[in-house]
Amino acid sequence: MPFDWEEYENSIHKTGIIMVSVGIALIISVPFIFAKILSTSIDWSGFAHAILRVGPTYWAISIVEFLVYVPLLGAGGSYLAFITGNIINMKLPCVFYAKDIAKVEEGTKESSIISTLSIASSALMTMLVIFLGVLMIVPLTPILENRYLQPAFANILPSLFGALAAQYFTKSWKITIIPLAISIVLTTAVPSLINQTSVMMIPAGGVAIAIAFFLYKTKRLEKKKEAVNAR
Amino acid sequence: MEDYLALANSTPLFLVVGGVLLFIAVTCVVFIIKSYRAGIKIGMGSALLKRTIFSSALFTLVPSISILLGVIALAGTLGLPAGWLRLSVVGNLQYEALAAGSAAQAMGVNYSSSSLSTQNLCTILLVMTVGISLGSVISIFFVKFYSNKLNRLGTKKSSGGSSFASWAMTAMFIGMSAAFIGSYVAQAVNGPLGRIERTDSYTLSFYIPLMVAAVSFLSMSLCRWISSKYKRFEDFSLSLSMLIGMASASLLALV
Repeated sequence: MPFDWEEYENSIHKTGIIMVSVGIALIISVPFIFAKILSTSIDWSGFAHAILRVGPTYWAISIVEFLVYVPLLGAGGSYLAFITGNIINMKLPCVFYAKDIAKVEEGTKESSIISTLSIASSALMTMLVIFLGVLMIVPLTPILENRYLQPAFANILPSLFGALAAQYFTKSWKITIIPLAISIVLTTAVPSLINQTSVMMIPAGGVAIAIAFFLYKTKRLEKKKEAVNAR
Repeated sequence: MEDYLALANSTPLFLVVGGVLLFIAVTCVVFIIKSYRAGIKIGMGSALLKRTIFSSALFTLVPSISILLGVIALAGTLGLPAGWLRLSVVGNLQYEALAAGSAAQAMGVNYSSSSLSTQNLCTILLVMTVGISLGSVISIFFVKFYSNKLNRLGTKKSSGGSSFASWAMTAMFIGMSAAFIGSYVAQAVNGPLGRIERTDSYTLSFYIPLMVAAVSFLSMSLCRWISSKYKRFEDFSLSLSMLIGMASASLLALV
């Protein structure tokens, strides 16, 4: 019997919707279960004050992230990424790297499969490492908090994005130069943006896509792309 | 009254968190099985699919250890079960500590284990969870609609030839990397001018992220060159480059 891709996609949506709904309900119920076990209750007035302070910024970011990430992660990958978190610092680079190694074309069935497999295995690995860490928290804490290792862990993102820059900037310096310059100028002029990389991704990514579109339309990208694919 | 941290670390709380995370882990396994089978059926080959699973897990190993540090940091104030839950699902390392601190402040208590009550703990945990869950909630209602819309907008259904979609993704990633690298340059420029606060006591403090990124960039370039000769090395390139970058951070901090 021939494989029906649409049926597969529908089943991914169905599974995603059911499992994320149950998952998020379980996660949100945890504070209430904790309260029951600890014989206490939620301080609703405190909750209202706190959520008004914390929520709006992250809700706005969540909407932007949803619009940006779904095209990058695909359907299956998106359900998993939103429920397991750490998207910008882990899932997204992981998916890109996996697609790069697999040499799949974006927007294809193959790309969708790689994306889902990559995010699911990445999420499982994170959960496993944290689970083992929780089991061995007593012997591990002094090692992880060792003063010589602290700077290494504090610089995991520069290590990650330095390495990824070598992978992606070199694919097209023509696309890279202007977004990089914009990012440097904006964050230097407005230092509060230094810790707002989710926000900075929007102008830098938008300009990069616009430049790529222009270069693609004027056929100045193809040659290099083929060279990359042939690598 | 029983000690707050003893209550926040009590066994039933671990069991609750373990149960919830087991469900999320099962969800991941279900997706792996479904997409693996679909991959085989469209002719992708089990070697490629297994390699994707292996390289993605390997890629995640090192960053996951840094998340473990976040768990330890949260555990000191909120207890280990709360830290375990918050950093295993929804959200991210940067968000959690910030949200917990803000929530405590909004409730008028100090964010420290000596000031918090179990009621504060449950309320803070609810704030952290609700504050970051919108992305998941939106995904329940809109991923299907949005991805179908994107499919109709012209993404292709099978391989062959290079499309703009591939370049758009590469460009998006270039933009994302540029945003991070730009912030490290800005840190190196603004730090010595006193425009940003020092968060540690290292001599090279403001320059370390940029220098580490440069070391990783060079390491990755070298790894890519080696990968062009020895194909299997490609799976290890990123993790190795990151480890070299992280090791350089430890060395630079000694200066």
